[in-house]
Amino acid sequence: MYYPEPISKLIDSFTKLPGIGPKTAVRLAFFVLNMKEDDVIEFAQALVNAKRKLTHCSICGHITDQEPCAICQDTSRDESVICVVQDSKDVIAMEKMKEFNGKYHVLNGAISPMDGIGPEDINVPSLLNRLKDEQVKELILATNPNIEGEATAMYISRLVKPSGIKTTRIAHGLPVGGDLEYADEVTLSKALEGRREL
Amino acid sequence: MLIEQLKLKNFRNYDDLNITFHNKVNVIIGENAQGKTNLMEAIYLLAFTKSHRTTREKDLIQWDKSFAKVEGTIQKRNQSMPLEITISSKGKKAKWNRLEQKRLSDYIGALNVVMFAPEDLTLVKGSPQNRRRFIDMELGQIQPTYIYHLGQYQKILKQRNHLLKQMQKRKQQDETILSVLTEQLIGHAAIILEKRFNFLELLRKWSTPVHSQISRGEEKLEIEYKPTIEVLETANKEKIETTYLQEFQKIKTKEIDRGTTLIGPHRDDLVFLINGRDVQTYGSQGQQRTTALSIKLAEIELIKSEIHEYPILLLDDVLSELDDYRQSHLLNTIQGKVQTFVTTTSVDGIHHDTLQKADLFHVHHGMVTN
Repeated sequence: MYYPEPISKLIDSFTKLPGIGPKTAVRLAFFVLNMKEDDVIEFAQALVNAKRKLTHCSICGHITDQEPCAICQDTSRDESVICVVQDSKDVIAMEKMKEFNGKYHVLNGAISPMDGIGPEDINVPSLLNRLKDEQVKELILATNPNIEGEATAMYISRLVKPSGIKTTRIAHGLPVGGDLEYADEVTLSKALEGRREL
Repeated sequence: MLIEQLKLKNFRNYDDLNITFHNKVNVIIGENAQGKTNLMEAIYLLAFTKSHRTTREKDLIQWDKSFAKVEGTIQKRNQSMPLEITISSKGKKAKWNRLEQKRLSDYIGALNVVMFAPEDLTLVKGSPQNRRRFIDMELGQIQPTYIYHLGQYQKILKQRNHLLKQMQKRKQQDETILSVLTEQLIGHAAIILEKRFNFLELLRKWSTPVHSQISRGEEKLEIEYKPTIEVLETANKEKIETTYLQEFQKIKTKEIDRGTTLIGPHRDDLVFLINGRDVQTYGSQGQQRTTALSIKLAEIELIKSEIHEYPILLLDDVLSELDDYRQSHLLNTIQGKVQTFVTTTSVDGIHHDTLQKADLFHVHHGMVTN
């Protein structure tokens, strides 16, 4: 099938997005052709702006359009608690909860020798610098509960423990609102391990 | 446990097969290269989601077809249960009671199978890998969490080996990462070792009397587990953990030099002894065969004691390899209680009662008639 160059380029660009196959890309490209010019310009601008104006905050590593990011600037937040997460999306998930009033540190990855990712490739050095300067009393390690996330949490706690800062790991086990009978054996045994006294 | 019905679609040399089994003992007769072992393989696949003779799953799909399917109806605790395995270019799907099971550990254990085939001699003669595989398969089918810990262990091991390679080439010098991965590895290694110790205890309990009977009281079979650390089999998880930790500390520089993990359950081995002598080195062909047979028969009883139901026994081309005494011992053991599938090129010369009463199935070019 022959497409004029502008549209084939557009189709090509759409296929670069996750979850978009060749057919969806064609459909989206033809849809764009029928859109109002203003909308198309706005769309294109939004794409470029998102890329150009967003950077990683120099303090916490979260995505931001200002320097430092809104959370780091917010003086009403508790500076003595830092929650360490793997990804910017995790900050947004935590923020939705509206219960955590400390600061964040986004690692942008997890330690994985197999993929050639060591501590210096993720934001561990900047975290250690923060701990030197600021008045941090507690570090909450909220990396993912898989092998890499667990290794990263253990690694950070080893480095931080000697300084006397309290390091905690988020709990894992049963999901809230779930039924015990649907939990798999492994989750259940983790939940049993982390039980607490009432 | 019983298999009531077996359906194959595009599996090996079977286009479309549907057989019902009414009897405990089913003898599958056919000349060479007709598809006897393929039937055994299908049942094995239904139990373990893996073939016993190939790791290339594409090989199971009939030439020029896009998928292969094995369906079975099994009876367990007096209830019928459909099982299904589909293999296609997109991968493998396992269904238990018509529901897809995403995790292997959720599926394995639905059907318990013990197989005895000529290649089981490698259990005694072959490399340590064969014996570890044996423990992993058998333990996995009675304890699903074992599969989980083994899987986690293998993932961490891979990470750790990569790290050691990087440290060997001086690309990474941070010893804290190594100690973190070591701690993670030990966590699962200790659980695996503890479970293997318990399994060995059970295996000994059942195999010693079986072997003594088969050998007319002349031979005493012992099984030793050879871990890469010095620890008693009675040690608890905490003791195993501290022993691993001490040992890993001792060999740290050696591991970095070699760029790989040198100790752990992935390097352990089993040793079979008859009257105190290592069967692998000093045993005769016959003793090696008898040892393998004793272990398999012990497994049947072991599974029965753990899950309160007899497993299915698959005997692939082994009857002809056993002498009359061992043959009748084997057939006496299964008589009336274990559903057994036997493949053979002919039943002539075997006059045992168990086989006289068996259902016969004739296999010819991927067709089965009874």
